[in-house]
Amino acid sequence: MLGQVLVSGITAGAVYALVALGFVVLHRGTRVVHFGLGDQLTLSAYAVVVGQVFLGLPFWAAVLLSLALSAGFGVLIERGVMRPLRGSPLLVMVIATLAIGAAIREAIRVGMGPQPWPIPFVLSPAPFTVGGLVLVPATLAVAGVATVVMLGLFLMLRHTRFGRAIVAVYENPTGAAIVGISVQDVHARLWVLASVLAAVAGILVAPLITLSPDMGTIGIKGFAAAILGGFNSLPGAIAGGLLLGILETAAGVYVSTAMKDVVSYGLLIACVLLLPQGLFGKAEARKV
Amino acid sequence: MHALRILGLLATLGALAALPFVAASHIVYLVALIGSTSIIVAGLSVVIGQSGQISIAQASFAALGAYGTAQLANMAGVPHWIGLPAVSLGTALVGYLFGLLSLRVADHYLALATMALCAIVQLLLVHMEDWTGGAVGLQVPPLALGGRILTQPVELYAVIVPLAVATAWFLYALQGSRTGRAFAAARMSEVGAAAVGIPVLRYKALAFSISAFLGALGGGLFALQTTYLDPAQFGILESVRLIAIAVIGGLLNPLGPAIGAAVFVLLPETMGALGRSMGLVFSLLLIAFIILAPGGLAGLAGRIRLNLAQRRAEVSRR
Repeated sequence: MLGQVLVSGITAGAVYALVALGFVVLHRGTRVVHFGLGDQLTLSAYAVVVGQVFLGLPFWAAVLLSLALSAGFGVLIERGVMRPLRGSPLLVMVIATLAIGAAIREAIRVGMGPQPWPIPFVLSPAPFTVGGLVLVPATLAVAGVATVVMLGLFLMLRHTRFGRAIVAVYENPTGAAIVGISVQDVHARLWVLASVLAAVAGILVAPLITLSPDMGTIGIKGFAAAILGGFNSLPGAIAGGLLLGILETAAGVYVSTAMKDVVSYGLLIACVLLLPQGLFGKAEARKV
Repeated sequence: MHALRILGLLATLGALAALPFVAASHIVYLVALIGSTSIIVAGLSVVIGQSGQISIAQASFAALGAYGTAQLANMAGVPHWIGLPAVSLGTALVGYLFGLLSLRVADHYLALATMALCAIVQLLLVHMEDWTGGAVGLQVPPLALGGRILTQPVELYAVIVPLAVATAWFLYALQGSRTGRAFAAARMSEVGAAAVGIPVLRYKALAFSISAFLGALGGGLFALQTTYLDPAQFGILESVRLIAIAVIGGLLNPLGPAIGAAVFVLLPETMGALGRSMGLVFSLLLIAFIILAPGGLAGLAGRIRLNLAQRRAEVSRR
């Protein structure tokens, strides 16, 4: 039983980890917490549906199209909304990202209707058993893709100019600017990166839960994972995601399925109140 | 200027008093709806505008007021005129406690905590079927005063609109009061406020409890008008809508909640077939408003100016 909880928890957690990575990648560089990221998950999944159903594309082409559109959308948000708002109070930024999320959700509701849409699994959803553990290819694919994406992210940050510029801005924006890195460009890259991470998570998770305009509430789970991980540590975000996935699955099995979401939201509040630096982050001094 | 403003206010009050005698009952209903919405939003004026803290939980406070009053009447037979003030005070206590807890963190952590609170309240509304009617919703018992049942738009108007006017006056009075000035000081600089002896934490929690009280009061009144409660009405999206109303009306203007509510209630009425996409229109409106008129977020001007100064200092340092 415990083994089963761990396996199911880790697959659920892999998606949360991707979303949490999106939040952290963006926040470390720009200090913005993007409250609309959850709705970007929904948007990318709908882009796949539109590509398949309305444009007649094969699944992989629709996925590529959706990833490209998400990257473009990230640039659009940075250029159109966040850049003009640079230097405004955090409160204004929070309201702006909330508004972006609401706009995405409402646009989907208007364009595609409130009803759920079917979206194909990456692999078969038929379960098989190995050594007493029930495994589902579709959810294994989720965990596999998420792992590959995360590895790719870390390799990119460590070994490419693109990624090292980002790390430089993380460490010290002024210093990065002095050695000739355009901080504004890096911000745009971070928005692209976060949007693409959200897109991957959205496409992976949509077949497992229901694809409807309200799917974006899963973003709160990503928040909880990011906070568990300390909100400024990338490995922390992954660990937080996996931990949340396991805790939530355990709550679903041992308490009640209805309380699954309550557990993860309650965890979020408890963590914010009692452990704002998370399990892996460093406490940030409050600035005057 | 001052005399003109007073004249304008008197004219508005006169028009509000005369309205039920001359206007069609649908108009009376809409104006009363603006009234109850403006009371809910007034809570956000206090917590976001005056005290400068973000709250994404206003829809849950409204839900507590609406469900609490309705179920006190349904299950225990408590009349609204006792139940609504009692539930509002109870919600204010919840807000105060939540505020006290959240004071340990600020800014986006506070936003996250209030967002999670909103999600939890909505989940509980759906899952605690015995207490809330569950996902199906809940019938709201009508308002009874002295054996008379008030359901007509005009009768509800007579109850709601005076309360909305009183709320606007309260916002005005609060801003100039000792408490309001403490809110403003804490908003501009927490450290500065603490340095001159303002117990910042207590005032921030107080702002939360006022917002919870107004949210519950407005929510209870709103429930009387719609007569039916659906948990889907009280989610995070509704909280964001309420923030949009507050921002577009003007966060520091005592009449802001009423102005914003008027826009949000009347615009869909006049748009006809476009009504289905109102949510989208309002979200885009909010984004445009934030980008084009950050000065419209008048309450934050102090902070913005501070930020600009910081930026200039940064630039000159480069």
